[in-house]
Amino acid sequence: MNYAHLHLLLNHFPIIGAIIGLGLFIVSFFGKNQDLRKASYIVFIGIGLITIPTFISGFGAQDMIKGPAVSDALVRRHESSALLSMWFMVITGALALIGLWQAQKTSQPPRWNVLAVLLFSVLSVALIARTSNTGGDIRHPEDVTGKSAPVADGTITDGPVGGFIAHFEPDPDKFADAMTFSKWWWTFMMAAHFIGLIMIVGTVGLLDIRIMGFLKQLPVAPLHRLLPWGLAGLAINVATGMMAFAGRPENYIFSAALWLKILALLLLGVNAVAFYLTGIFGQVEKLEAGEDAPFAAKLVAASGLFLWFAVIAMGRYIQPLTDTLLGSN
Amino acid sequence: MAVPLIFNTIEQTGLSRWLRESQSIFGFYFILLFHTFGMSLVVGANAVVDLRILGVASDIPLRPLKRLFGIGWTGLAINITTGLLLLTAYPTKALTNPDFYLKLTFIGLAVYTMARMNKEVFSDTSLSEAAMIAKGKVFARLSLFFWIGAVGTGRLLSETARYFFYGHPAGG
Repeated sequence: MNYAHLHLLLNHFPIIGAIIGLGLFIVSFFGKNQDLRKASYIVFIGIGLITIPTFISGFGAQDMIKGPAVSDALVRRHESSALLSMWFMVITGALALIGLWQAQKTSQPPRWNVLAVLLFSVLSVALIARTSNTGGDIRHPEDVTGKSAPVADGTITDGPVGGFIAHFEPDPDKFADAMTFSKWWWTFMMAAHFIGLIMIVGTVGLLDIRIMGFLKQLPVAPLHRLLPWGLAGLAINVATGMMAFAGRPENYIFSAALWLKILALLLLGVNAVAFYLTGIFGQVEKLEAGEDAPFAAKLVAASGLFLWFAVIAMGRYIQPLTDTLLGSN
Repeated sequence: MAVPLIFNTIEQTGLSRWLRESQSIFGFYFILLFHTFGMSLVVGANAVVDLRILGVASDIPLRPLKRLFGIGWTGLAINITTGLLLLTAYPTKALTNPDFYLKLTFIGLAVYTMARMNKEVFSDTSLSEAAMIAKGKVFARLSLFFWIGAVGTGRLLSETARYFFYGHPAGG
């Protein structure tokens, strides 16, 4: 297993998942099927989450395949494209999360949210299709049609659609420079990352320890209403985390701690599914002050708390473990 | 201004050297992890109380949130302990950096605000919830401001250090 393998393993999920999600979402408009719409939202959230390790593994894969046999221009075009599509996939996932949250009260996501998800998911599919296409071109030069094959000086001519999208794709080096040029901006991002962490621990952590049986004087339902603050913290941290990664990928990509952190985040996704989709949430939501949660709920809460602790711990160990994965391929 | 020689003396002690140089996963970064963990407890607990007083999730009963101060003091105790260890590892780096004193000032003010709020808002059982909120609003705003200041200046420390350790200026 190396980064090229990992990238190949992961990189089909975003494109296929985005198309499945968009398909379910569009079908949900016919007959106004809210369950189908919620299912499409869950797909968008899951795919938004998977896009992050896919994006990150691409940097490792790029490092591995450097050489005369691979066109640097094609790699850079793919990287630019991924840098744009990744944000759209993540934003689509975030919008879907907001929609699902609001659907709790109103049984369906509000109209603005449905329109926003429609817009962003369509754009995401278009952008991720180009990312997949430009990625495929790297290793399948036989598919690169004569017109778009790189010429000797490294420039690539795109088709009309690709050429249009290319205007919006950031240059990876310029994006990295923008993230790192000022220590004030970098510090601001890192401070925001810590504020986000505090928002998550203060809300999700508090809910978890209440369910586990501490602070039983507090009823669960109102505590659960603090969760949008935790989700806002998560959004801040995904944004600042990915910007920091894109600024200094070489500091992160070979750190075992980064991958353990991402693994813990993916497991938290599973934890959320266990909490919301198995009926546990319905049981704990009714708990009034002084009432005890069922054992399964305590288990899910305790594992969630442990996983958040693991996320913080692995985040802290990214730096000392910076080179742990060098030469492991 | 000359850097006091005692910083060098501290840096040459076995504990300081071990904290800085040990390759063990229980060395410097382990302490730093618990400093982060303690921060999330003390600031997280305070932030929830502050936000509740400022009107977020107003159906959470306010008085039982007094228990969160226990979590806050626990986090503070973790951070005083780990903070002293981090200071033992890098006394010159911390104590020659003006930002370090700014951070301590923010923390001092934040902790003072936490203590006042605990005493005047949550320990006075004669207050109704509306009276608690009326009395707590100023504390809640100050608390959020001071804690954000403490976190921000804390993150700025590594960027503003003048020395790595005694006799080794940063960036030199």
